[in-house]
Amino acid sequence: MAAPVPPGAPRPGANARQQSPHPNFNPNFQTNPNSLADNMQNMNLNRPHSMPNSGPRPSPFGQPPPFPQSSVTAGFPVASPPMSRPGPPPGMVGRPAVIPAGPLQSTLPANVPPGRPVGLPVSHPLPFGSRPPPASLSSSTGGAVLPSSAFPSSGVSSASAAPPPPARAPAQAPTMRSVLGSSAVSSPQTPPLPSASSPFPAMTQARPPPPGSPYGPQTWSMQPQQGTQPPHIPGSTHAQPPRMFGMPQQALPNQAMTNIPPALGQPGAPMSGSSKIDPNQIPRPIPNATPIVYETRHGNSANPPPPATSDYIVRDTGNCSPRYMRCTINQIPCTGDLLTTSAMQLALLVQPMALPHPSEDPIQVVDFGESGPVRCSRCKGYINPFMKFIDQGRKFICNLCGFTDDTPRDYHCNLGPDGRRRDADERPELCRGTVEFVASKEYMVRDPMPAVYFFLIDVSMNAVQTGATAAACSAINQVISDLPEGTRTQVGIATFDSTIHFYNLKRALQQPLMLIVPDIQDVYTPLETDVIVQLSECRQHLELLLENIPTMFQTSTTAESCFGAAIKAAFLAMKSIGGKLLVFQSVLPSVGIGALSSREAEGRTNISASEKEAHKLLQPADKILKTMAIEFAEYQVCVDVFVTTQTYVDIASISVIPRTTGGQVYYYYPFSAVSDPAKLYNDLRWNITRPQGFEAVMRVRCSQGIQVQDYSGNFCKRIPTDVDLAGIDCDKCILVTLKHDDKLQDGSECGFQCALLYTTVYGQRRIRVTNLSLPCTNMLSNLFRSADLDTQFTCFLKQAAIEIPTCPLLQVRDHVTNLCINILLSYRKFCATVSSTGQLILPEALKLLPLYTLALIKSRGLRNDGRIDDRSFWFNYVSSLSTPLAIPLVYPRMFAIHNVDTKDGDESVLPPTIPLSSEHVCDDGIYLLENGEDALIYFGSSVDSSILQQLFGFTSVDEVPTQFVMQQFSNPLSKNFNDVVNVIRQQRCSYLRFALCKKGDPSGMAFLSCMVEDKNANGPSYVEFLVHIHRQIQMKMS
Amino acid sequence: MSEMANTDPEGIDAVRMTWNVWPRTKVEASACVIPLAVSIAPIRSHPDIPTLPYSPLRCKSCSSALNAFARVDFTAKIWICPFCYQRNHFPPHYAMISDTNLPCELYPQYTTVQYSLQANPDPNNPSNVPQLPPVFVFVLDTCMIEEELGFVKSAMKQALGLLPEHALVGFVSFGTQAHAHELGFSDISKVYVFRGDKEISKEQVLEQLGLGSAGRRPTAGYPKGLQNGHSNTGVNRFLLPASDCEYTLNSLLDELQTDQWPVQPGNRASRCTGVALSVATGLLGACMPGTGARIIALVGGPCTEGPGTIVSKDLSEPVRSHKDLDKDAAPYFKKAVRFYDSLAKQLVSQGHVLDLFASALDQVGVAEMKVAVERTGGLVVLAESFGHSVFKGSFRRMFKDGEQSLGLCFNGLLEINCSKDIKIQGVIGPCTSLEKKGPNVSDTVIGEGNTSAWKMCGLDKSTCLTVLFDVSSTERSNAPGTANSQLYLQFLTSYQDPEGKRMLRVTTLTRQWVDSAVSSEELVHGFDQEAAAVVMARVTSLKMEMEDGFDATRWLDRNLIRVCSKFGEYRKDDASSFTLNPCFSLFPQFMFNLRRSQFVQVFNNSPDETAYFRMLLNRENITNAAVMIQPSLISYSFNSLPQPALLDVASISADRILLLDAYFSIVIFHGMTIAQWRNMGYQSQPEHQAFSQLLQAPHVDAQMILQERFPVPRLVVCDQHGSQARFLLAKLNPSATYNNSIDMAAGSDVIFTDDVSLQIFFEHLQKLAVQS
Repeated sequence: MAAPVPPGAPRPGANARQQSPHPNFNPNFQTNPNSLADNMQNMNLNRPHSMPNSGPRPSPFGQPPPFPQSSVTAGFPVASPPMSRPGPPPGMVGRPAVIPAGPLQSTLPANVPPGRPVGLPVSHPLPFGSRPPPASLSSSTGGAVLPSSAFPSSGVSSASAAPPPPARAPAQAPTMRSVLGSSAVSSPQTPPLPSASSPFPAMTQARPPPPGSPYGPQTWSMQPQQGTQPPHIPGSTHAQPPRMFGMPQQALPNQAMTNIPPALGQPGAPMSGSSKIDPNQIPRPIPNATPIVYETRHGNSANPPPPATSDYIVRDTGNCSPRYMRCTINQIPCTGDLLTTSAMQLALLVQPMALPHPSEDPIQVVDFGESGPVRCSRCKGYINPFMKFIDQGRKFICNLCGFTDDTPRDYHCNLGPDGRRRDADERPELCRGTVEFVASKEYMVRDPMPAVYFFLIDVSMNAVQTGATAAACSAINQVISDLPEGTRTQVGIATFDSTIHFYNLKRALQQPLMLIVPDIQDVYTPLETDVIVQLSECRQHLELLLENIPTMFQTSTTAESCFGAAIKAAFLAMKSIGGKLLVFQSVLPSVGIGALSSREAEGRTNISASEKEAHKLLQPADKILKTMAIEFAEYQVCVDVFVTTQTYVDIASISVIPRTTGGQVYYYYPFSAVSDPAKLYNDLRWNITRPQGFEAVMRVRCSQGIQVQDYSGNFCKRIPTDVDLAGIDCDKCILVTLKHDDKLQDGSECGFQCALLYTTVYGQRRIRVTNLSLPCTNMLSNLFRSADLDTQFTCFLKQAAIEIPTCPLLQVRDHVTNLCINILLSYRKFCATVSSTGQLILPEALKLLPLYTLALIKSRGLRNDGRIDDRSFWFNYVSSLSTPLAIPLVYPRMFAIHNVDTKDGDESVLPPTIPLSSEHVCDDGIYLLENGEDALIYFGSSVDSSILQQLFGFTSVDEVPTQFVMQQFSNPLSKNFNDVVNVIRQQRCSYLRFALCKKGDPSGMAFLSCMVEDKNANGPSYVEFLVHIHRQIQMKMS
Repeated sequence: MSEMANTDPEGIDAVRMTWNVWPRTKVEASACVIPLAVSIAPIRSHPDIPTLPYSPLRCKSCSSALNAFARVDFTAKIWICPFCYQRNHFPPHYAMISDTNLPCELYPQYTTVQYSLQANPDPNNPSNVPQLPPVFVFVLDTCMIEEELGFVKSAMKQALGLLPEHALVGFVSFGTQAHAHELGFSDISKVYVFRGDKEISKEQVLEQLGLGSAGRRPTAGYPKGLQNGHSNTGVNRFLLPASDCEYTLNSLLDELQTDQWPVQPGNRASRCTGVALSVATGLLGACMPGTGARIIALVGGPCTEGPGTIVSKDLSEPVRSHKDLDKDAAPYFKKAVRFYDSLAKQLVSQGHVLDLFASALDQVGVAEMKVAVERTGGLVVLAESFGHSVFKGSFRRMFKDGEQSLGLCFNGLLEINCSKDIKIQGVIGPCTSLEKKGPNVSDTVIGEGNTSAWKMCGLDKSTCLTVLFDVSSTERSNAPGTANSQLYLQFLTSYQDPEGKRMLRVTTLTRQWVDSAVSSEELVHGFDQEAAAVVMARVTSLKMEMEDGFDATRWLDRNLIRVCSKFGEYRKDDASSFTLNPCFSLFPQFMFNLRRSQFVQVFNNSPDETAYFRMLLNRENITNAAVMIQPSLISYSFNSLPQPALLDVASISADRILLLDAYFSIVIFHGMTIAQWRNMGYQSQPEHQAFSQLLQAPHVDAQMILQERFPVPRLVVCDQHGSQARFLLAKLNPSATYNNSIDMAAGSDVIFTDDVSLQIFFEHLQKLAVQS
């Protein structure tokens, strides 16, 4: 997008011409206003009378049809000029506005801790508010009513123009929400709230109205759109009213037109005309700066958890930490029908080994000795705080199956006056949501396995020449010292090209002995014992060997790679013990068992077929690898594959193995010997040092009435109730979908228990039991109020990922959109009936759902363009992804880094996030965009050379190298930048793969394609999308 | 002619025949009972054999070489081939020929000449020009106890030191799996591992070692065979000159451990001998054709894994015995033999040799591997431990240079030309038929037949072959008179000597035809009893192996009786009138001992031992083979020189020392009194120096035998009534048994057996021979 029209430059040119017309003409706008005015509860969109989308398109001013995307970009630049006129550049303005808002709100929200939403609607919102304090935006989303006024896409620009409004919006949002909560009872309340909210916002927003807008003070109210909209919805209006003020409907249009379009930045695009939503008011995620303390239960009832993406410290007061297990809805619908009505998913996201916050108490270990933990004799549920002891403690009732058991004699304890056991507070298993039991003999089929690490390195010609082999060897070499100490740690190593080379590392040998397995159709292990040796016995050999491997194969001319045979052989070597198999693969496996063909290329040559069958390329090529994977899992071998490649390697096929064995794929494409080794090392190190377990089995039990429908994630399932995990670690998350098989009692609690039996790295057998007990409800509004956005969306994401290989993309995208629409429709239909049909009303808790859905549709996995491998990797990556990382994956964070030195005494190292809209990207800025895995650094075309010099050591954008290695220079800017990066790395537990993007370059395009709020080839702009949703809802309502 | 007197009964030609005069007709020949056979050591060295630095002239019709029996017309410069009577012109470089200026091959005394083909390379095989270094691939079993492995390692190291510097060396070790060691990789010890339980073809081996066509492609542009005299196939990764890889190999051997795969209790180690040999064979397959190469297999136990398995891993199942083989109760035997047969084919096609050094207390499968060893002309040594002198001595001997050298040669090709009326039935001995049919090839096949040419992948100067002939029945019809009174045989053996030079040995023989109906006298005088006995032994062994339910004893008896009936002088039905011509007088005794020998009485031995004995029987010369059948016994006593003693229990005496040479073992047997004296230490007292000398004498003689013989025999030193004495007693004629011991003199001994003694045997023989 960027390429064709660099923001700054273009103006003078043709664009300029075109632009100029825009502002003036704004035909679209005008039309739009007429067409739609959608108000959303928080965002009310006036309905577009005319089709919003269609609307915008028709008037492609300057933009030639060929480049829809370019049009967008073009749009931005265009926008900017106008922006500039009014005042500060859009991006800049926007941000500051946000910030102030944040603090304010945060204060307001004190809400954070609010009790449950029982009577007071207000309280509810609070938690949310807390979350996105800065989120004036979010609030706006929540409550914001977006008038479907004239500014469609332009909304964005307007945002910039009217930064303040967003701020206010957020402020409102909370209130809005609260309203919503209450509204649950009766939908209509929303409107009043807004009014209420409006004041707040006004307060907050008190600050200077956005640029240009004369309405300044009212900035937030200013929303021109509303003004434009014929139907002013009260609720929405009040939020919008101010805007209204700002923008006289008709008069506004003109003005708006003039002002806005530029602001929107999409002047060129006719689309701008389509939506009338103030982009600054629409909901966006807002990170909270300081961690909050969260108690899992409060006054004997479950406390809804903070958003997964936020920073919080858990105190386990009966329910498990939400890190380990969280439900898509924090209240459980009593009936399946109710759930169906809500259109939401009921599912658990289980991350049993999740990394706790450093300030949290460690999980307590309980040893019941020989007898093992106390369990329900019927459902085998483990003792937990929700088991009810009766009859002076002689019996207990299982909270999962309702069966009454006798208390084992030596576990007996009298009950106190409150009906609890007197020792309940001393026994972790009776007062903590998560405990770990020491497993007794009966939980072991064999002695706990030692920690075995087997490294398998591709040394085919390509791997060696691209430096991948050297990188892998050096990473392993560095990581050796991080392996667990002690005699239980065993290692093995093998390399492969067209044959497999094992190494005998036994100490007696003067040097390692290379054992080559040349039969790659029918592989075997060359030694029973000495291929895998205790680390303490072979450290020197190993180090020596790792140093030598790259040179040893330096002259290799073997281009073939027998990946399948190699892992099979390594597996055979490990078979008797199990363990982790870490594979470094660089080329397409071309020979031996499970050899693959370059399907991608074949697909390309036969385009007509590939269009229809595109998704077939995302399926494994054959069943061989799958069969192997199942065998691996059976023998407790967990495979991680590090793909360091510059070509197609058919990840779709390869990934089956890590997926089935509880491992994961790491993907370095295109591999760079300069910049990737550091990440490879860090990934490997984290892979090995992170909390993890071996030979694990996991089962989730639910209270009667609910049952587990299915599990999805990286594991192998042999029987329906259990999940076998050859390896489980803190990053792996499993989606557990639930279904009703009976009614639940309103007012009762529904319990979930996840039991993970595993072996620690140090060889103890443990059962980690994670309990969650949630209230049941009959009220639809309660469901919406207690919906957990992050979890719900992650659930969406994972389900979409599952569909990708089996359905045409279009269908997947439609499905995702429909999921979103149906939820909103349900809310609209049953919980917000009072509001005008002209408003798009979003439940507070789910106000970001449309944004995330849009982001998802535009994500790498669901895009049409892009390499097959990228998509394969994407949906594989997603399959085990935890909730806190799932969100940034689709909706990354963006920071400006050209001014990181100018931070304002804030504690937070991280600069404020910037909405993912190209409108917020300035030409003279440098931006960092991270999604937890990749980090893109984007250079505007006119970045100050001294900033460049300070941060990167070069002075001109033209010198931007293709490969990047983080460096710290001795200046505050660079130091801060490094600090920022390090904080992000810590947060993500990922080193991040950096890519430098230059405006006007393909790399720049890649960056801009992450601007999910922009309209581009992959989907509509955020505003347009809202309009689309709104229209769909309206259609379905009528 | 007494063979004892003649120290070199084989002469310059190294040939012995059962009959030195041949009956004219098939009927007469078959009446002779003992087959017409020639035993020849084709490359035995002899000081009188001239080596000619040129190629022989060949008859243009039958391609026999010019020889002393050719009629030469000096004026016309023409020679007439004695085999086919073809007239051949001498080529220009023979222009100087005259009756006073004869080329060596025409000297009548040079019936055997040797041509060195070095100077005139065969245009059909230019790759011979650079001398191909010999290749040695060691295939080492690692499934043995540390101690044994230690022995074999040190033996190997010693051998490496003895190898010629330019010889190429390869190394394959095996246990549960076979390991091909890449010696040419300097960074790290590198081993290709082949699974032990899967049969692997040559192509697979080559491909998997990276020597296949795929692996070779990168070097396809280079002319082959220039570097190191070796094709550039990459095989030099595995085969390195001894001088280059001695260090590598030594350190590799130092680190080599016993097989690391666990052995379940109650099980045999899993040992994939078959695969290891396939791998070694495949590896050699990548060598240039014409390379002389040998696989030296050092095996310490039975193959229990993959192809060539001879027994299951379960220890409760014993290795097959002769009884099992007879009853067809050896489930692995046939399959294993088939495998080794195919391995043999591959080796022969490549021209490579398999040597087998088996050292174990139990059997290792020599019986199954025999086919591969014998067809390739490999050496075989069976010992009970790698620490035993039989193995150590033999193994060292194999690599010794100079006087003691075995003179190991490669790529031998034997062709036989013979007069028109003679048909070749086949060859018994270490060679393989090349299936070259011709007019001289008999329809009856014995041993490696159906051909007039044989491949001898490996041969040495003592290698001996037995060629069996038949006389064509049609001969009479077109006998061209007197010219035909002589028959001619010509043996052409081309081979590559230890230095890699191409040599051709031509031995031309002539014998007289005789009409036995007319003169059986001549026939009788032309009989070689020793040769006949050995040939009978060889034929019997062959028949025992080839023919199901063959009753060897009965067959030998019947033939012996027929011989006696035909050649004895007697009155019908009067046993006492029976006398035998001296030319036949020893033959019955040979037969008696043959009947009792390990070749016929196999049940005292394991199939492995039997196979071993037979292989040596077939490849040794007549004299040695005769010792195998009928050991020699020498007696040492005061007051007399060492003298041959009767192979009879009666030879045992308390004041004698006996030295028994049974070829495979040499027994020094001290009479009771001698043993007592020795135990009392008289030999160290100066006044009993004579006793000391007496004690020493048999040891000195034994040592001489040990040094000459390959494989080194087992030396047993024992005393009368000692447990080891059985090695002697088993070979003696049981003239004194517990049945008749009362008659025996004191100090003598008895043998506890029910076997008949020689006397009884003779009595029966006479009775049966004279029966009408």
